[in-house]
Amino acid sequence: MSAQPAPEASTARRKRRSGRADGDRPMWLLWPRVVVVLLIVAVPFLIAVYTSFLSVDQYTLRQWVGAPWVGFDNYVAALAGSNVLSISALGSLGISVAFSVLTTLIITPVGILAALTVNTDFRGRALLRSLYLVPYVIPTFVTALLWRMMFLPQTGLINRFLAAIGLADVNTYWLVGAKSFWAMTITETWAVWAFIYIMVLAGLQSIPVEQYEVAELDGATSWEKLTRVVLPQLRGLIALAVLLSTLFHFNNFTLPFVMFGTPPPTPVTVLPLNIYLTSFNLFDFSLGSAMSVITLLIMLVPGFFYLRMLRLGEVTSR
Amino acid sequence: MKKRTLTRREFLAASGGALADVSALGLAGCGGGSGSGSLNILAGKSTSFPTEQEDWFKQLGKQLQEKAGSKLEWDFYDSAETEQQKLQTAMTSGTGPDVFILGSTFVPTAQATNGFRELSGADWKKAGGKSRIFERQLTMAGVSPDKLITVPFVMRPFGMVYNTDLFEKAGLSGPPKTWTEFVEYAKEMTDPSQNVYGAEMDPADSYDPWKILWTFTRQMGGDYVSKDLKTAQFTSEEVEAAVRFWFDWATKHRIVDPNSMTWEATDALTAFANGKVGMLIMITSNIDPTLQDSKVKGKYEYAPMPTISYRMEAIPAGGEPTPSIVSGDYLGVADYSDAQDAALQLINIMTDYQNQLDYFEAVGDLPCNTKAVEELARKNETVETFTESERNATPTPFTGAFGPIELVMGSVTSKLGSKIATNSFSPSDIEEQLKRANEEAQAQLDKAQR
Repeated sequence: MSAQPAPEASTARRKRRSGRADGDRPMWLLWPRVVVVLLIVAVPFLIAVYTSFLSVDQYTLRQWVGAPWVGFDNYVAALAGSNVLSISALGSLGISVAFSVLTTLIITPVGILAALTVNTDFRGRALLRSLYLVPYVIPTFVTALLWRMMFLPQTGLINRFLAAIGLADVNTYWLVGAKSFWAMTITETWAVWAFIYIMVLAGLQSIPVEQYEVAELDGATSWEKLTRVVLPQLRGLIALAVLLSTLFHFNNFTLPFVMFGTPPPTPVTVLPLNIYLTSFNLFDFSLGSAMSVITLLIMLVPGFFYLRMLRLGEVTSR
Repeated sequence: MKKRTLTRREFLAASGGALADVSALGLAGCGGGSGSGSLNILAGKSTSFPTEQEDWFKQLGKQLQEKAGSKLEWDFYDSAETEQQKLQTAMTSGTGPDVFILGSTFVPTAQATNGFRELSGADWKKAGGKSRIFERQLTMAGVSPDKLITVPFVMRPFGMVYNTDLFEKAGLSGPPKTWTEFVEYAKEMTDPSQNVYGAEMDPADSYDPWKILWTFTRQMGGDYVSKDLKTAQFTSEEVEAAVRFWFDWATKHRIVDPNSMTWEATDALTAFANGKVGMLIMITSNIDPTLQDSKVKGKYEYAPMPTISYRMEAIPAGGEPTPSIVSGDYLGVADYSDAQDAALQLINIMTDYQNQLDYFEAVGDLPCNTKAVEELARKNETVETFTESERNATPTPFTGAFGPIELVMGSVTSKLGSKIATNSFSPSDIEEQLKRANEEAQAQLDKAQR
């Protein structure tokens, strides 16, 4: 047995005495950032939770800390009650979930196909890649205004096109009634399909060329290459893109707000819009807080899966 | 397991980020609200004349510096939503602008927050005095004449604009004085084959519907809210008649574009500017720059809106002419401000004769300074028309619940418009929507009583 301490052990002891060692960086420098993030994230969240148990409105806003305590009344109202928009938080939640899941289901295969089309080199590929990004880089409020004009009855491009090919009447209403949900979904699909495309394209670029060559040598068809070489390697990345995409659509406030104005038609009263109108137009800040807390709790579920995926990625990479 | 160490890149990112975060936090603490020797005002942005508006504020700044030794800083909001959010943020945090420019229907909400200085006699003297202010505007300056929290700044009366070419073609000599005439004239001008309609509707707009329906309701002798501000009256005969009359334009009289059920105010204005609408109601003179630059340039005139209800000969008992709601912008001093004296001096400067005339020249908003607006009215027919409307304007119910009540009515019209558009409308829908709206409105009024 050696009497000398192992070199690593002495290095570790030196590190503990001085707080730093060669190649290590002092972790305490992260604390200011942690504190600031806590202040920006944790404190507002705690305030939201607190106000959700009070009755804070335009009359009690100035002394909101001491506003009347109402317990879980706001949560009951959020889940069960209807408001001037004729829809509860639960109803808006259903619309938000339907909107985000449907949009993601549509853009995922579209984004994957688009990435595949520009994965191999060809003349004009750079231009096509840039064109694919155009909808994604346009600001959401501009997209909303443009598509609102396109969906107008009689004069809008959508109706004129559909009428020209005999699929719909030129006076079809897209901005009111049940069709408003589809107008919102179509617009969102057009605006953000490139997100999946970008993520998948990045993944495709990391697949070694040799794997394609080996597959070809083994006599694999294009379909087999896609399903047995490409997609299995992109599985984790696509899952992550799908999850982030769903979260993004769920939280989209700007599109329905700009496209439909206030008050919006019931089929497009997504949860963020309902919370905004409840808080800032009806001045029921407490009810808005309760709805926000409910939203956060629901978002923790996909958030949990997201973090799990990240951690699995770390374990896999070690 | 190997211990996780921080790489050089992570270290630099974290250090830089920590420094940035701490600096931002420190700087944020320095900002917000006015510092010593400066005054901050929050104003609505003029979308048509932003540069001219900035120049006017710069002039104001020079005058304030001379008179009060204070520097003027200004911030703009570009929509009613932003105005509300900034006000709410300021009220919650106790810091923010010293002076707010508030829309008339937002003054009741501002008063409900108890965040504005109640103006005493001495304050009014510092601010220039009540006597020089256009009297009608004072009815929306506070909950009662002895509890005023704002000073009127500009007037924005409502009226109508009509297409003189379409009037001529239909053989009509002048604008309608009653709503019966309005409907008749609109029918004369309507020609669906040319896509021309005598009137328009914008039930999807956030603001116009409640104003239009409230105007009809008041002219019939009713109101959204009882005189004591305690009871919602959405299920009253007058409100139901008002809603029915307006939607009859589409379903019975057919004097509006069938596609207008999704229109907002801008869509209606566009249709008028393209020569497709004979009469456009609930507009202010601020649309003039748009019309001057349109197909109807030189082919339109302004007029007050009719004041006598459909199928009536005169205004009934309890009714008012209501050619317009009392409308405009008001100046309020935040009671958290540590520069309230300077704020009152600023208000004095902003509402004096010359500055009011200059502001009209800059952005086209009518002065609240009586001498200034009467002088303009003598020289300009359009100003005279709108000033006359405002002289007889009716103030809306002064309750902190009125903001939500506006949304309640907006929701009613939006849903009815949607039902008409999707061919699922039946006349009983009006009663059903108003019953639900009444419950919502009553809940808001009950909150105001607590």
